[in-house]
Amino acid sequence: MKANGLLSASQSALMAVVGRLMGIIDVPLRYLQRKTGQTGMAAFFLAPNMAIFTVFVLVPFVINFVYSLTGGSAIFLSERSFVGAEQYSEIFACGNYLDPNSCKQDVFWIAAGNTAAFVVLQVSLMIVAALITALILNREIIGRGFWRAVFFFPVLLSPVVTGLIWRWIFQRQGVLNGVMQGLGLEPHDWLTERNSAFFASIGVSIWAHVGFYTLILLAGLQAIPKDLYEAAQMDGTSRQRVFWRITLPLLMPNLIVVLVLALIKAVQIFDEAFVLTHGGPGTSTMYLVQYIYETGFASELRNPGLAAAASILMGAVLVVLTLVQMAASRRNEKKGAR
Amino acid sequence: MGRITLEKVTKSFGAIDVLHGIDLDIGEGEFVVFVGPSGCGKSTLLRQIAGLDKPTSGEIRIDGTLVNDVPASDRGLAMVFQSYALYPHMSVRQNLAFGLENARMPKAEIDARIAEAARMLEIGDYLERRPGQLSGGQRQRVAIGRAIVRNPTAFLLDEPLSNLDAELRISMRAELAALHARLKTTMIYVTHDQIEAMTLADRIVVLRKGRVEQVGSPLELYNRPANRFVAGFIGAPSMNFLSGRIEGVSGAGTQLRLFDGELVTVPRVAEANQVGQDVSVGLRPQHMRVARDGENGVPVTIDMVEALGSETVVHAHASTGELVLAVLQGQHNLSRGDSLKFAYDPADLHLFDKNGARVSGT
Repeated sequence: MKANGLLSASQSALMAVVGRLMGIIDVPLRYLQRKTGQTGMAAFFLAPNMAIFTVFVLVPFVINFVYSLTGGSAIFLSERSFVGAEQYSEIFACGNYLDPNSCKQDVFWIAAGNTAAFVVLQVSLMIVAALITALILNREIIGRGFWRAVFFFPVLLSPVVTGLIWRWIFQRQGVLNGVMQGLGLEPHDWLTERNSAFFASIGVSIWAHVGFYTLILLAGLQAIPKDLYEAAQMDGTSRQRVFWRITLPLLMPNLIVVLVLALIKAVQIFDEAFVLTHGGPGTSTMYLVQYIYETGFASELRNPGLAAAASILMGAVLVVLTLVQMAASRRNEKKGAR
Repeated sequence: MGRITLEKVTKSFGAIDVLHGIDLDIGEGEFVVFVGPSGCGKSTLLRQIAGLDKPTSGEIRIDGTLVNDVPASDRGLAMVFQSYALYPHMSVRQNLAFGLENARMPKAEIDARIAEAARMLEIGDYLERRPGQLSGGQRQRVAIGRAIVRNPTAFLLDEPLSNLDAELRISMRAELAALHARLKTTMIYVTHDQIEAMTLADRIVVLRKGRVEQVGSPLELYNRPANRFVAGFIGAPSMNFLSGRIEGVSGAGTQLRLFDGELVTVPRVAEANQVGQDVSVGLRPQHMRVARDGENGVPVTIDMVEALGSETVVHAHASTGELVLAVLQGQHNLSRGDSLKFAYDPADLHLFDKNGARVSGT
């Protein structure tokens, strides 16, 4: 009882302090509301966030766009010349759009092609892997909590760490070849052979991110009422039919979210793939963001304007993907799937 | 078709025993209601019958066939869930057809069954809508329709009206009774609402802590509850319980000394060995009236009066502190603090021993 009394005394003291503080804050806020009205107050509270958004997103976007209209290798905008849409023309200067080698900026188109292939394969494999993992983790398996943690753990790793771990596994003298040799198999140049390097980058990316998407799908699976499965059981529904006719349609809102997030993330692939393969061998794992980075900052003949133009084009693709996602979500909501 | 027999059915979840050897015989076409407080095992029992859970021991037979190992879909039963469990992404028509499609029924037959159920339940106008576009009552009808189209040997209904508002619940209750009269199919209905049980059931099964307390027709349970629990559970408002002692038995009945010293004779003869026993005396609120001057009765002081127009509900307490609730017919000029006596017919008294069982013979 004494402890309770002390607690309530400290609580009331705290409440008194909070009350006084609120009283002090209240005075200017009331004055502000009188002067600006309710709309003005809304703007006042939104202002900090809008300021952060402006400084870190809007202004860099505008500056980037301005860069894309300038030429030369100078970094400072004041030292750069205005060239209009020349950088975009440079990118689109191709003899045959189906043949990257016929383009003036062939590496851009090779990187774009690699990125497109990466997105298609990685996203589809990722969704299948996340769905299977979520379905398994949603069942009453022994050590379910442990397995959920195991699958989520890679998400917590820095992409650089992920890249380094897998480079250590895949390199010529790496763990994988060691195991293969131990089993009497021929070692393989995982990161220096075009196809295996490409698929290694896909595999590593899936490993690094599948836990996050699994979590989203798992939440969706758990939101499906158990009663529906029991009703299906009473209706004599086979397991396959339950999956295709009940689970999958009811999981669709989550699948759409996963699809779009995975697509956007895949288009932006850079860090773990760069650490793993440095874009090689040759340009076989060179993706768009790496192209932008190297064109703008890392190559000897750096061209920030061209890099900015490429990033604007990539941004346009991301905007299109986001719009598609919003349209799909709206359509799904209209259908009243849940 | 539709006889369901349970023999010594038990169900345990780990170390927790939920059902303790349930024996029950449900006749063909009977409307049986499982009733009891939350956690009494009524839904668990229904799930064992449905095949959604397997009993730990005991036998479940449908029309004489042991079905313990028969999958839910092959038992010929249909279930209506408390939450309706309609597939939200399918139209009403698709919901009704889903189970029939699983059974690979010809489309013409499916359409005919849906049309018949839609006509019966008046849901024809919204066959193309999704459950999310329907009201609670309409969803309830669709859930029943989904059960009907399967043409089952028995319907299992798990608190199907509990999500509806009071007015709709009353009308759906009447519709369910009419549906049973029309279909003449066995129905097992789970509820915690004893009014639903009383109004719908041919027989009521009262459950408590995984055991059957009493099985009987609604009026049997109301008029001759087997124990104090059933007496308190069946009937609304609940039965009053006063203390008393059996003073003697004779051909005229059982002489009972009530807590206030009044001696009454209950016109039913208890066994002689009950004499001298303290008993709990049950008296329904509806069986009391205001005593006339000089008439015997339970002396009480009024705590609260609820004037409902056609009847007056009086909350009172006896001198011993025992609460007494009376439902008096008509309107009465009573108010808080009034002292009066509630008269009753001794034949309406129910006697329960210290273990809560009905005193034998009474």
